[in-house]
Amino acid sequence: MMGHAFAEGWALLRRRWLTSFSLALGLAVPLALAALTAAVAQWSRPLVHQNEERLTVPVLLHPRMDERQRKEWIMTQKKEHPDWEIREVPPETLSKRLVLWFPYLQDFFEGEEGAELAPLVEIRAPDPEELKVLDSSPAVIATGPTSSVHRILGRMAGETAFLMALICGIQLFVAILMAGVWTHLEIYRHADEISIMRLVGATEMAIRSPLVIAAVIPGFMAGIMGAVGANFLVLQVGRVVGNLGLGVPQFSPLMMLVLVLVGPVLPGIAAIFTLARHARHENSS
Amino acid sequence: MIRLRSLLKLYDGRPILRGLDLQVDAGEFVFLTGPSGAGKTTLLKMLYGAERPTEGEVWVAHRRVDALKHRELPMLRRKIGVIFQDFKLLSHRTVLENITFVLRFHGLSSREAHKRAYQVLRRLGLHHRQSALPEVLSGGEQQRVAIARALAYQPRLILADEPTGNLDADLAAELLSLLCDINYQGATVIVATHDHSLLEALPARTLVLGHGRIEYDGSWPP
Repeated sequence: MMGHAFAEGWALLRRRWLTSFSLALGLAVPLALAALTAAVAQWSRPLVHQNEERLTVPVLLHPRMDERQRKEWIMTQKKEHPDWEIREVPPETLSKRLVLWFPYLQDFFEGEEGAELAPLVEIRAPDPEELKVLDSSPAVIATGPTSSVHRILGRMAGETAFLMALICGIQLFVAILMAGVWTHLEIYRHADEISIMRLVGATEMAIRSPLVIAAVIPGFMAGIMGAVGANFLVLQVGRVVGNLGLGVPQFSPLMMLVLVLVGPVLPGIAAIFTLARHARHENSS
Repeated sequence: MIRLRSLLKLYDGRPILRGLDLQVDAGEFVFLTGPSGAGKTTLLKMLYGAERPTEGEVWVAHRRVDALKHRELPMLRRKIGVIFQDFKLLSHRTVLENITFVLRFHGLSSREAHKRAYQVLRRLGLHHRQSALPEVLSGGEQQRVAIARALAYQPRLILADEPTGNLDADLAAELLSLLCDINYQGATVIVATHDHSLLEALPARTLVLGHGRIEYDGSWPP
């Protein structure tokens, strides 16, 4: 029976080879892009993770705040933002750091009068952007940078991966819809044939199999074309990224296998779903 | 082989068949006649499950057809050879393929199906047209292909809906003789026709449908 279904499906494809090829191509493009997205996402994962890293932001408090006021301010912040880690930097540590960065300040700090430094606190937060609210606080003179280059790069990588995945998802959905529409048109093109088949004792399986096979074969072709296309795209991206001195994204054989398998599954599901809907409609009428 | 009990069929509230009771034994040859719109085709459709009665029971080969699920219909239809009034041939397939594709559903291999199809075409004198598409055949030839398809899998029940409608007198007589042969071999044959010459040519049980009921059941002429 399967041999018969395959022969019938193949005959159907041959009669509509141009449509079948368009279907295969229409599916191959989003498959290749999906694979490219996966490869790029895998490659950029360490970068994306940097976006999730906690960042320590220095916050300079008003110099007129005495110790009690500072403690109160810190307590208030801890209460309002329990996920913040707030650490007060003692003036001597701050002066040591400044001397390390600017050695000529040593005399200034070690002089007889000494220098009164503005109190500094360091706040470590899961989302450093939240610290921008402190800018409007009268107790705060200045806040340090709430974004690092790594964070910006990580966020960009994450957003790019998400955008590519979204585009691929839409394209895959359109390709599946195309397979469904194609099956739908074939059903109507062969409506007489299908009703005759039913009347002479063909089972639903015997009626549906050739149409499913006629959708699965272009899907298989699309999987192969998609794998070849994805490999080419990843190589091209790798060449550009390699020139920048960064690591090169890889297209794994496992991903290639997944593409070749997913290719026929997607239109197959679309065809089965469309045929089931048609059969339900026929039975009810 | 066939049993109908209190069969009622309404179309848009209008009764086509009303309270029909009928029994046809295995191996019988039955003519079903009556004026156009008497319900001959509807009755045949109910026998192969293409129509469901509004009320009543339809039994074919010990199975209650009106209660069968859609997925169970193919098994019933494989026991029935139907010769349709409008032939119902597949226009994209050759004469031979029109027969082999049905045989493939019955589980025959491609080689067996071709062999059997050729035999039945030869028997009906159509073997020289095996590669032709139905559209190039005459009405009579198309009718014979439809008959060949119905006979190919040797069903135990043959339902023919106006099988001689497109045939000349000689071919009609030949077809009748063929159906008689099949009947002698044990198959039950029901032929729906309004061609009285056919009824006169063969002494067989004749059912006359009229006003939704069986008005006469016996040999022809009444």
